[in-house]
Amino acid sequence: MSLQERLDEFKKSFESGAPPYNAPHEVIETMHRATAELKATGIEERALKVGDRAQGFSLFNQDHVQIDSADLLRQGPLVLSFFRGHW
Amino acid sequence: MELEALQEIYSDVRTLGAQIIVITPELERYTRALHKKLNLSFDILTDLHLKVAEQFRLVFTLPDYLRDLYKSFGSTLDRFNDEPEYRLPIPARYVIDKQGIIRAADVNADYTIRTEPSETLKQLRSLSRAADQ
Repeated sequence: MSLQERLDEFKKSFESGAPPYNAPHEVIETMHRATAELKATGIEERALKVGDRAQGFSLFNQDHVQIDSADLLRQGPLVLSFFRGHW
Repeated sequence: MELEALQEIYSDVRTLGAQIIVITPELERYTRALHKKLNLSFDILTDLHLKVAEQFRLVFTLPDYLRDLYKSFGSTLDRFNDEPEYRLPIPARYVIDKQGIIRAADVNADYTIRTEPSETLKQLRSLSRAADQ
């Protein structure tokens, strides 16, 4: 199953209001409203896009090792995914 | 699901000479647990206070009404991210070439929509073909 199919399946199950999530209708409406409002701010258009230079970074990984983007790029291209969290 | 899907393309990405990096505002004690749980081959980096996400202009603040809703689910971002203002990055996946230039950008404010990892592989392949010429 593709990633989007998995996401769609989860969304369908969540928005059905049935177990295990038992999401009330108001909660689903609230989430839809928030997504629509966020899109309307134009954030997608403001984000860095193709052709822009990516700023370098130096951050700690899960084992508290400092990782420098310049070191990574010397070895090859990067797939960089921004993830909001496990929650 | 994004992380599991990236794990599925990990070996193909490495074969193409590229690497996968995940950036999240979550604190290291949570990234460590998540990394272990999903048995990931790539690093998850902690972007404390969203400094890098800000440079990519991906940061937004959760509206009050959603903050209260998530709190009622038990998701407290001030604890997970040390982020009392409840700021988050919108989901985004970038392909960056060796020169630091963005070659593919998949950005969506709707967190239920993601680009297929197979698309990301295609983008990497066309990048490596261009580099060969």
